[in-house]
Amino acid sequence: MTSSTTFKPGVKDVASFLSEYSVMLFGSGATCIRMEKNMHRIARSQGMEAEFSILPRHIHLTVGDGSDTVTSVVAIRDMPISFAKIALLSKLSWQMADCRYDFRQAVKVLAKIGSTPGTPPWRLLLLVSLANASFCRLFGGDAMAMAVVFVATFAGFLVKQVLTDRHVDFRLTAVACSFISAVIASSDALFSLGATPEIAVGTSVLYLVPGIPFINSFCDMIDRHYLCSFGRMMNAVVISCCLSLGLCAGMLLMNLGMF
Amino acid sequence: MLVEFLQDALFAAIAAIGFSAISNPPRRAYLFCAVIAAVGHSVRFLLMDCAGWHIVPASASASLLIGVLAVLISPKTRIPAETYLYPSLLPMIPGIYAYRTFGALVMCLYRGTEDSFLHYFYLFAQNGMTCFFILLAMVVGATLPMFLLPKISFQATRQKTNS
Repeated sequence: MTSSTTFKPGVKDVASFLSEYSVMLFGSGATCIRMEKNMHRIARSQGMEAEFSILPRHIHLTVGDGSDTVTSVVAIRDMPISFAKIALLSKLSWQMADCRYDFRQAVKVLAKIGSTPGTPPWRLLLLVSLANASFCRLFGGDAMAMAVVFVATFAGFLVKQVLTDRHVDFRLTAVACSFISAVIASSDALFSLGATPEIAVGTSVLYLVPGIPFINSFCDMIDRHYLCSFGRMMNAVVISCCLSLGLCAGMLLMNLGMF
Repeated sequence: MLVEFLQDALFAAIAAIGFSAISNPPRRAYLFCAVIAAVGHSVRFLLMDCAGWHIVPASASASLLIGVLAVLISPKTRIPAETYLYPSLLPMIPGIYAYRTFGALVMCLYRGTEDSFLHYFYLFAQNGMTCFFILLAMVVGATLPMFLLPKISFQATRQKTNS
Protein backbone atom coordinates (compact mmCIF):
# COMPACT_ATOMS: atom_id res chain seq x y z
CA MET A 1 0.00 0.00 0.00
CA THR A 2 2.83 2.40 -0.80
CA SER A 3 1.62 5.89 -1.57
CA SER A 4 2.45 7.23 -5.07
CA THR A 5 3.62 10.59 -3.60
CA THR A 6 5.79 9.17 -0.81
CA PHE A 7 6.92 11.74 1.74
CA LYS A 8 10.65 11.60 2.46
CA PRO A 9 11.20 12.49 6.13
CA GLY A 10 14.25 14.33 7.45
CA VAL A 11 16.49 13.09 10.25
CA LYS A 12 14.65 15.34 12.72
CA ASP A 13 11.27 13.85 11.74
CA VAL A 14 12.53 10.30 12.20
CA ALA A 15 14.19 11.19 15.53
CA SER A 16 10.94 12.72 16.77
CA PHE A 17 8.94 9.68 15.60
CA LEU A 18 11.37 7.23 17.20
CA SER A 19 11.36 9.20 20.46
CA GLU A 20 7.60 8.82 20.79
CA TYR A 21 7.78 5.21 19.56
CA SER A 22 10.49 4.25 22.07
CA VAL A 23 8.68 5.84 25.02
CA MET A 24 5.47 4.02 24.10
CA LEU A 25 7.25 0.70 23.58
CA PHE A 26 9.25 0.96 26.81
CA GLY A 27 6.23 2.09 28.83
CA SER A 28 4.19 -0.83 27.49
CA GLY A 29 6.75 -3.25 28.93
CA ALA A 30 8.94 -4.26 25.99
CA THR A 31 12.38 -5.73 26.59
CA CYS A 32 15.52 -3.94 25.37
CA ILE A 33 16.18 -6.53 22.68
CA ARG A 34 12.74 -5.93 21.15
CA MET A 35 13.21 -2.16 21.35
CA GLU A 36 16.59 -2.43 19.64
CA LYS A 37 15.31 -4.60 16.81
CA ASN A 38 12.15 -2.55 16.19
CA MET A 39 13.89 0.82 16.27
CA HIS A 40 16.76 -0.27 14.03
CA ARG A 41 14.18 -1.69 11.62
CA ILE A 42 12.25 1.59 11.49
CA ALA A 43 15.38 3.75 11.06
CA ARG A 44 16.69 1.51 8.26
CA SER A 45 13.31 1.63 6.51
CA GLN A 46 13.92 5.40 6.21
CA GLY A 47 17.53 4.94 5.06
CA MET A 48 18.98 5.95 8.44
CA GLU A 49 20.70 4.45 11.48
CA ALA A 50 19.56 4.79 15.07
CA GLU A 51 21.27 4.07 18.38
CA PHE A 52 19.79 4.51 21.82
CA SER A 53 20.47 3.95 25.48
CA ILE A 54 17.91 3.62 28.22
CA LEU A 55 18.56 5.50 31.42
CA PRO A 56 16.39 5.03 34.52
CA ARG A 57 14.09 7.94 33.66
CA HIS A 58 15.05 8.92 30.10
CA ILE A 59 15.74 7.44 26.69
CA HIS A 60 18.74 8.88 24.88
CA LEU A 61 18.41 8.50 21.10
CA THR A 62 20.65 9.38 18.17
CA VAL A 63 19.49 9.18 14.54
CA GLY A 64 21.73 9.83 11.53
CA ASP A 65 21.66 9.45 7.74
CA GLY A 66 25.40 9.73 7.11
CA SER A 67 25.45 13.50 6.60
CA ASP A 68 23.18 14.75 9.36
CA THR A 69 22.80 13.53 12.96
CA VAL A 70 20.13 14.39 15.54
CA THR A 71 20.26 13.45 19.23
CA SER A 72 17.23 13.65 21.47
CA VAL A 73 16.59 12.87 25.12
CA VAL A 74 13.04 11.94 25.96
CA ALA A 75 11.49 11.36 29.39
CA ILE A 76 9.98 7.94 30.13
CA ARG A 77 6.29 8.16 30.97
CA ASP A 78 4.51 5.91 33.46
CA MET A 79 1.87 3.94 31.63
CA PRO A 80 0.15 0.60 32.16
CA ILE A 81 1.86 -2.46 30.70
CA SER A 82 0.14 -3.39 27.46
CA PHE A 83 1.08 -6.37 25.33
CA ALA A 84 -1.57 -5.32 22.83
CA LYS A 85 0.39 -2.09 22.25
CA ILE A 86 3.69 -4.00 21.97
CA ALA A 87 2.11 -6.24 19.32
CA LEU A 88 0.77 -3.24 17.37
CA LEU A 89 4.05 -1.30 17.65
CA SER A 90 6.05 -4.31 16.45
CA LYS A 91 3.63 -4.76 13.58
CA LEU A 92 4.03 -1.08 12.70
CA SER A 93 7.83 -1.48 12.51
CA TRP A 94 7.42 -4.37 10.05
CA GLN A 95 4.81 -2.44 8.01
CA MET A 96 7.35 0.37 7.64
CA ALA A 97 10.20 -2.01 6.83
CA ASP A 98 8.10 -3.78 4.19
CA CYS A 99 7.04 -0.39 2.68
CA ARG A 100 3.35 -0.95 3.46
CA TYR A 101 3.16 2.43 5.22
CA ASP A 102 4.88 5.66 4.25
CA PHE A 103 6.15 7.90 7.04
CA ARG A 104 3.02 10.06 7.29
CA GLN A 105 0.77 7.02 7.57
CA ALA A 106 3.09 5.58 10.23
CA VAL A 107 2.82 8.77 12.30
CA LYS A 108 -0.98 8.53 12.20
CA VAL A 109 -0.92 4.82 13.13
CA LEU A 110 1.45 5.53 16.03
CA ALA A 111 -0.94 8.15 17.44
CA LYS A 112 -3.80 5.67 17.11
CA ILE A 113 -1.83 2.93 18.91
CA GLY A 114 -1.29 5.36 21.79
CA SER A 115 -5.03 5.46 22.42
CA THR A 116 -5.56 1.67 22.35
CA PRO A 117 -7.98 0.89 25.22
CA GLY A 118 -6.96 -1.52 27.99
CA THR A 119 -8.98 -4.29 29.62
CA PRO A 120 -12.28 -2.85 31.00
CA PRO A 121 -11.82 -2.09 34.77
CA TRP A 122 -14.65 -4.32 36.06
CA ARG A 123 -13.56 -7.28 33.99
CA LEU A 124 -9.99 -6.75 35.14
CA LEU A 125 -11.07 -6.58 38.79
CA LEU A 126 -12.96 -9.85 38.54
CA LEU A 127 -10.23 -11.66 36.60
CA VAL A 128 -7.44 -10.56 38.96
CA SER A 129 -9.48 -11.59 42.03
CA LEU A 130 -10.14 -15.02 40.49
CA ALA A 131 -6.48 -15.34 39.50
CA ASN A 132 -5.24 -14.57 43.00
CA ALA A 133 -7.73 -17.02 44.53
CA SER A 134 -6.40 -19.66 42.10
CA PHE A 135 -2.89 -18.71 43.09
CA CYS A 136 -3.85 -19.41 46.71
CA ARG A 137 -5.03 -22.89 45.69
CA LEU A 138 -1.77 -23.54 43.80
CA PHE A 139 0.16 -22.77 46.99
CA GLY A 140 -1.95 -25.27 48.93
CA GLY A 141 -4.70 -23.03 50.32
CA ASP A 142 -8.11 -24.57 51.13
CA ALA A 143 -11.50 -23.42 49.78
CA MET A 144 -12.02 -20.95 52.64
CA ALA A 145 -8.57 -19.43 52.06
CA MET A 146 -9.46 -19.06 48.37
CA ALA A 147 -12.70 -17.25 49.22
CA VAL A 148 -10.93 -14.94 51.67
CA VAL A 149 -8.19 -14.20 49.13
CA PHE A 150 -10.82 -13.46 46.47
CA VAL A 151 -12.48 -10.85 48.72
CA ALA A 152 -9.14 -9.40 49.89
CA THR A 153 -7.89 -9.08 46.31
CA PHE A 154 -11.16 -7.61 45.12
CA ALA A 155 -11.04 -4.86 47.77
CA GLY A 156 -7.33 -4.17 47.36
CA PHE A 157 -7.41 -4.08 43.57
CA LEU A 158 -10.49 -1.84 43.58
CA VAL A 159 -8.59 0.63 45.76
CA LYS A 160 -5.62 0.33 43.41
CA GLN A 161 -7.78 1.22 40.42
CA VAL A 162 -9.27 4.24 42.23
CA LEU A 163 -5.88 5.52 43.44
CA THR A 164 -4.25 4.99 40.04
CA ASP A 165 -7.08 6.94 38.36
CA ARG A 166 -6.39 9.78 40.79
CA HIS A 167 -2.66 9.67 39.95
CA VAL A 168 -1.61 8.83 43.52
CA ASP A 169 2.07 7.81 43.76
CA PHE A 170 2.41 4.10 42.84
CA ARG A 171 4.47 3.40 45.98
CA LEU A 172 1.81 4.78 48.29
CA THR A 173 -0.77 2.85 46.28
CA ALA A 174 1.15 -0.40 46.83
CA VAL A 175 1.37 0.22 50.60
CA ALA A 176 -2.35 1.07 50.88
CA CYS A 177 -3.56 -1.86 48.77
CA SER A 178 -1.41 -4.49 50.46
CA PHE A 179 -2.46 -3.15 53.87
CA ILE A 180 -6.16 -3.46 52.97
CA SER A 181 -5.74 -6.93 51.46
CA ALA A 182 -3.69 -8.17 54.43
CA VAL A 183 -6.24 -6.88 56.95
CA ILE A 184 -9.10 -8.60 55.12
CA ALA A 185 -7.12 -11.82 54.62
CA SER A 186 -6.29 -11.89 58.34
CA SER A 187 -9.95 -12.76 58.99
CA ASP A 188 -9.14 -16.36 57.99
CA ALA A 189 -6.83 -16.66 61.00
CA LEU A 190 -8.73 -14.39 63.41
CA PHE A 191 -12.08 -16.18 63.03
CA SER A 192 -10.52 -19.64 62.42
CA LEU A 193 -12.39 -19.93 59.13
CA GLY A 194 -10.08 -22.40 57.40
CA ALA A 195 -7.05 -24.62 57.96
CA THR A 196 -4.53 -22.60 55.91
CA PRO A 197 -4.64 -18.99 57.19
CA GLU A 198 -0.91 -18.43 56.59
CA ILE A 199 -1.35 -19.14 52.88
CA ALA A 200 -4.38 -16.83 52.71
CA VAL A 201 -2.42 -13.88 54.14
CA GLY A 202 0.68 -14.65 52.08
CA THR A 203 -1.14 -14.83 48.75
CA SER A 204 -3.58 -11.97 49.38
CA VAL A 205 -1.00 -9.38 48.25
CA LEU A 206 0.60 -11.29 45.40
CA TYR A 207 -1.44 -9.46 42.75
CA LEU A 208 0.79 -6.45 43.55
CA VAL A 209 4.08 -8.28 42.83
CA PRO A 210 5.60 -6.60 39.76
CA GLY A 211 6.21 -9.88 37.92
CA ILE A 212 6.70 -8.44 34.45
CA PRO A 213 9.29 -5.79 35.45
CA PHE A 214 11.20 -8.54 37.29
CA ILE A 215 11.18 -10.86 34.26
CA ASN A 216 12.06 -7.97 31.90
CA SER A 217 14.93 -7.05 34.18
CA PHE A 218 16.41 -10.57 33.95
CA CYS A 219 15.83 -10.55 30.19
CA ASP A 220 17.75 -7.27 29.82
CA MET A 221 20.52 -8.67 31.99
CA ILE A 222 20.90 -11.68 29.68
CA ASP A 223 21.02 -9.24 26.75
CA ARG A 224 23.75 -7.20 28.56
CA HIS A 225 21.61 -4.07 28.98
CA TYR A 226 22.81 -3.86 32.57
CA LEU A 227 21.81 -0.26 33.26
CA CYS A 228 18.23 -0.73 32.09
CA SER A 229 18.10 -4.08 33.86
CA PHE A 230 19.18 -2.44 37.11
CA GLY A 231 16.65 0.38 36.67
CA ARG A 232 13.78 -2.03 36.12
CA MET A 233 14.96 -4.24 38.98
CA MET A 234 15.10 -1.29 41.39
CA ASN A 235 11.58 -0.22 40.43
CA ALA A 236 10.33 -3.75 41.04
CA VAL A 237 12.23 -4.01 44.34
CA VAL A 238 10.80 -0.68 45.55
CA ILE A 239 7.24 -1.85 44.78
CA SER A 240 7.94 -5.18 46.51
CA CYS A 241 9.24 -3.34 49.59
CA CYS A 242 6.14 -1.13 49.63
CA LEU A 243 3.80 -4.09 49.43
CA SER A 244 5.78 -5.84 52.18
CA LEU A 245 5.43 -2.73 54.33
CA GLY A 246 1.65 -2.69 53.86
CA LEU A 247 1.46 -6.43 54.55
CA CYS A 248 3.52 -6.07 57.71
CA ALA A 249 1.44 -3.12 58.95
CA GLY A 250 -1.79 -5.03 58.27
CA MET A 251 -0.57 -8.08 60.16
CA LEU A 252 0.65 -6.00 63.09
CA LEU A 253 -2.68 -4.20 63.28
CA MET A 254 -4.53 -7.50 63.34
CA ASN A 255 -2.01 -8.86 65.87
CA LEU A 256 -1.08 -11.72 63.60
CA GLY A 257 2.30 -13.46 63.97
CA MET A 258 4.44 -14.12 60.93
CA PHE A 259 5.05 -17.77 61.86
CA MET B 1 -3.47 -37.90 42.06
CA LEU B 2 -5.22 -37.36 38.73
CA VAL B 3 -7.70 -34.96 40.36
CA GLU B 4 -4.85 -32.99 41.91
CA PHE B 5 -3.06 -32.89 38.58
CA LEU B 6 -6.16 -31.61 36.76
CA GLN B 7 -6.89 -29.11 39.53
CA ASP B 8 -3.34 -27.82 39.28
CA ALA B 9 -3.70 -27.31 35.52
CA LEU B 10 -7.11 -25.64 35.87
CA PHE B 11 -6.06 -23.17 38.57
CA ALA B 12 -2.82 -22.35 36.73
CA ALA B 13 -4.91 -21.54 33.65
CA ILE B 14 -7.26 -19.27 35.62
CA ALA B 15 -4.30 -17.53 37.28
CA ALA B 16 -2.65 -16.98 33.88
CA ILE B 17 -5.82 -15.48 32.40
CA GLY B 18 -6.28 -13.14 35.37
CA PHE B 19 -2.68 -11.99 35.53
CA SER B 20 -2.43 -11.61 31.77
CA ALA B 21 -5.44 -9.27 31.92
CA ILE B 22 -3.31 -6.85 33.99
CA SER B 23 -0.86 -6.58 31.08
CA ASN B 24 -3.61 -5.81 28.54
CA PRO B 25 -2.91 -8.49 25.93
CA PRO B 26 -4.75 -8.76 22.60
CA ARG B 27 -8.03 -10.66 23.17
CA ARG B 28 -7.02 -13.67 21.11
CA ALA B 29 -4.03 -14.25 23.41
CA TYR B 30 -6.03 -15.26 26.51
CA LEU B 31 -6.77 -18.80 25.42
CA PHE B 32 -3.16 -19.54 24.51
CA CYS B 33 -1.91 -18.02 27.79
CA ALA B 34 -4.25 -20.33 29.70
CA VAL B 35 -3.21 -23.45 27.76
CA ILE B 36 0.53 -22.73 27.96
CA ALA B 37 0.32 -21.96 31.69
CA ALA B 38 -1.68 -25.13 32.34
CA VAL B 39 0.84 -27.26 30.42
CA GLY B 40 3.83 -25.62 32.13
CA HIS B 41 2.45 -25.88 35.64
CA SER B 42 1.31 -29.47 35.10
CA VAL B 43 4.77 -30.46 33.89
CA ARG B 44 6.30 -28.93 37.01
CA PHE B 45 3.72 -30.77 39.12
CA LEU B 46 4.60 -34.10 37.46
CA LEU B 47 8.35 -33.54 37.75
CA MET B 48 8.08 -32.66 41.44
CA ASP B 49 5.36 -35.04 42.64
CA CYS B 50 5.95 -38.07 40.39
CA ALA B 51 9.63 -37.87 39.46
CA GLY B 52 10.69 -36.35 42.80
CA TRP B 53 12.63 -33.45 41.28
CA HIS B 54 13.63 -30.43 43.34
CA ILE B 55 11.55 -27.30 42.69
CA VAL B 56 14.44 -25.40 41.01
CA PRO B 57 15.24 -27.83 38.13
CA ALA B 58 11.52 -28.65 37.81
CA SER B 59 10.73 -24.93 37.40
CA ALA B 60 13.57 -24.50 34.89
CA SER B 61 12.33 -27.42 32.76
CA ALA B 62 8.70 -26.31 32.87
CA SER B 63 9.74 -22.74 31.98
CA LEU B 64 11.81 -23.98 29.06
CA LEU B 65 8.74 -25.79 27.74
CA ILE B 66 6.64 -22.63 28.23
CA GLY B 67 9.27 -20.62 26.35
CA VAL B 68 9.35 -23.06 23.42
CA LEU B 69 5.54 -23.14 23.19
CA ALA B 70 5.31 -19.32 23.34
CA VAL B 71 7.90 -18.87 20.60
CA LEU B 72 6.28 -21.50 18.35
CA ILE B 73 2.75 -20.13 18.78
CA SER B 74 3.67 -16.44 18.35
CA PRO B 75 4.15 -16.40 14.52
CA LYS B 76 0.89 -18.30 14.01
CA THR B 77 -1.08 -15.65 15.90
CA ARG B 78 1.18 -12.68 14.96
CA ILE B 79 1.60 -11.71 18.60
CA PRO B 80 5.04 -11.30 20.29
CA ALA B 81 6.13 -14.33 22.31
CA GLU B 82 6.35 -12.28 25.55
CA THR B 83 2.56 -11.92 25.52
CA TYR B 84 2.23 -15.67 26.14
CA LEU B 85 5.46 -16.15 27.99
CA TYR B 86 5.12 -13.79 30.94
CA PRO B 87 1.53 -14.49 32.06
CA SER B 88 2.18 -18.23 31.70
CA LEU B 89 5.19 -17.94 34.00
CA LEU B 90 3.39 -15.94 36.70
CA PRO B 91 1.56 -18.94 38.28
CA MET B 92 5.00 -20.43 39.01
CA ILE B 93 6.33 -17.30 40.76
CA PRO B 94 7.45 -18.43 44.25
CA GLY B 95 5.20 -16.04 46.15
CA ILE B 96 4.98 -18.10 49.31
CA TYR B 97 8.78 -18.40 49.52
CA ALA B 98 9.04 -14.63 49.12
CA TYR B 99 6.46 -14.14 51.86
CA ARG B 100 8.30 -16.50 54.21
CA THR B 101 11.61 -14.79 53.45
CA PHE B 102 10.13 -11.44 54.37
CA GLY B 103 8.41 -12.88 57.45
CA ALA B 104 11.67 -14.43 58.67
CA LEU B 105 13.50 -11.13 58.15
CA VAL B 106 10.95 -9.29 60.28
CA MET B 107 11.19 -11.96 62.98
CA CYS B 108 15.02 -11.64 62.94
CA LEU B 109 14.64 -7.98 63.78
CA TYR B 110 12.01 -8.54 66.46
CA ARG B 111 13.50 -11.50 68.30
CA GLY B 112 16.54 -10.46 70.31
CA THR B 113 17.99 -13.74 71.63
CA GLU B 114 20.77 -15.41 69.69
CA ASP B 115 19.00 -18.76 69.33
CA SER B 116 15.78 -17.37 67.92
CA PHE B 117 17.72 -14.93 65.71
CA LEU B 118 19.75 -17.81 64.24
CA HIS B 119 16.58 -19.85 63.70
CA TYR B 120 14.83 -17.05 61.82
CA PHE B 121 17.99 -16.13 59.95
CA TYR B 122 18.19 -19.73 58.78
CA LEU B 123 14.56 -19.51 57.58
CA PHE B 124 15.31 -16.17 55.91
CA ALA B 125 18.34 -17.54 54.04
CA GLN B 126 16.72 -20.84 53.10
CA ASN B 127 13.49 -19.34 51.76
CA GLY B 128 15.29 -16.40 50.16
CA MET B 129 17.77 -18.60 48.30
CA THR B 130 15.04 -20.97 47.14
CA CYS B 131 12.95 -18.03 45.95
CA PHE B 132 15.89 -16.43 44.10
CA PHE B 133 17.00 -19.62 42.35
CA ILE B 134 13.44 -20.52 41.32
CA LEU B 135 13.09 -17.06 39.77
CA LEU B 136 16.44 -17.30 38.03
CA ALA B 137 15.73 -20.80 36.72
CA MET B 138 12.30 -19.73 35.49
CA VAL B 139 13.50 -16.65 33.65
CA VAL B 140 16.55 -18.27 32.09
CA GLY B 141 14.53 -21.33 31.06
CA ALA B 142 11.68 -19.30 29.60
CA THR B 143 13.70 -16.67 27.74
CA LEU B 144 16.30 -19.06 26.32
CA PRO B 145 14.12 -20.13 23.35
CA MET B 146 13.47 -16.45 22.55
CA PHE B 147 17.19 -15.71 22.34
CA LEU B 148 18.05 -18.96 20.55
CA LEU B 149 15.29 -18.57 17.96
CA PRO B 150 15.38 -14.82 17.24
CA LYS B 151 14.14 -15.21 13.66
CA ILE B 152 10.90 -16.74 14.87
CA SER B 153 10.59 -14.63 18.02
CA PHE B 154 11.12 -11.21 16.49
CA GLN B 155 9.33 -11.71 13.17
CA ALA B 156 6.06 -12.89 14.68
CA THR B 157 4.20 -9.65 13.95
CA ARG B 158 5.38 -9.41 10.33
CA GLN B 159 2.57 -9.55 7.79
CA LYS B 160 3.04 -12.28 5.20
CA THR B 161 3.41 -11.17 1.56
CA ASN B 162 0.45 -11.99 -0.70
CA SER B 163 2.59 -13.12 -3.63
